[in-house]
Amino acid sequence: MNIKHINFAVLILILGVGIATFLSVASDTNAQMWVVGAMSVCYVLWGIIYHAMEGDLHRKVILEYFLIAAIVMIVFATVLWT
Amino acid sequence: MGVCYDSFMWKKIHRFLMPAHDNNHRSKALHHDSLLVYVLLFALVNFGIRTLHKQFPDVLGYATDIRVYDLLSETNRKRSELGLGAVVLNDQLSQAAKAKAQDMFANGYWAHTSPQGKTPWEFIVGSGYKYTLAGENLAKNFSTSRGVVDAWMASPTHRDNVIKPGYHDVGFAVVNGILAGEETTLVVQMFGASERIAQVPKQAESKQVEVPIEVPVLAELPELAKVNQQMSPASQVLPAVSGVSKSPFINIPTLTREISFLFIGILVGILGIDFVVVSRRKIPRVAGHNIAHIIFLSALVIALITIRRGSLI
Repeated sequence: MNIKHINFAVLILILGVGIATFLSVASDTNAQMWVVGAMSVCYVLWGIIYHAMEGDLHRKVILEYFLIAAIVMIVFATVLWT
Repeated sequence: MGVCYDSFMWKKIHRFLMPAHDNNHRSKALHHDSLLVYVLLFALVNFGIRTLHKQFPDVLGYATDIRVYDLLSETNRKRSELGLGAVVLNDQLSQAAKAKAQDMFANGYWAHTSPQGKTPWEFIVGSGYKYTLAGENLAKNFSTSRGVVDAWMASPTHRDNVIKPGYHDVGFAVVNGILAGEETTLVVQMFGASERIAQVPKQAESKQVEVPIEVPVLAELPELAKVNQQMSPASQVLPAVSGVSKSPFINIPTLTREISFLFIGILVGILGIDFVVVSRRKIPRVAGHNIAHIIFLSALVIALITIRRGSLI
């Protein structure tokens, strides 16, 4: 198992814990939104660390992770809060 | 002319979906400006739905079908599955539940205890019900009666109330109104037993608290007297209390979920195409990892699938 596999295993672990937490607060939409926010922040951080380790970290890459996280946040805000 | 236009459109679509030299080997749909447009479009959809809902609630709204008798039968079904006796609908507890719902709308709170410190038990006493054991479950923004009771059963503290053997009476209020600026359907469920053992919501946020066996005298509680004056006679259960049933032309939760699934599905598809094409051509480029994006979006699709509208305390 190389470092790339370990990185992806960490990502899947983060997301798994995130989904489990999301399910555990199923009756509170505000708490669910906080969980999605935390998952998005973790994802951006994971992306930065992953690309730094791969040696191809660039401002454009960080912006891409931010935008993907922003899309997820706005999608969930639309579903949970409207 | 038609052929030229078709060719032009095909090139545009190809450039949007497929990585190539004329889009810097990254599908145009995944460029930063495109991603930003998606964020803004979703913000616009969010704003548009809220605005249209306020203007045309019958066209774009929340489908709701929650009725007291369905709540009662679902509650008793859950109890009977555990071999417990049925609870009986009590008009006084229903009046207490109605007063509680109205108080939440009037004072803009979503909690077991009001900002003024009024507890559920004061509403029960105000209704004239002499409890020795009482409990309260709250729910908001569910679509169906079964959804409400299933959610209560899935929450350990609410479940404790639903299946407590000591309860013999129950009252419900289902009231639609504006809470914190949002259209909200509140469901208040109040359990009670009179001249038996007394207990009620334990945690402030959920419902099981020891209450004094000696019930306060109504005259000593001016606020309760006020609540009592506002109440209809016990035999009159108002339509607002007996249930809320609405079926708008477009159901907002269904609409937002379908738009979200469609959008994320298309985005994951484009990320997949982009990944396959670039991997096959072995093109080096500076970009995020598509597989990571797909994993992240897929995980959130799973979360989206589990979303059930409605909250409990």
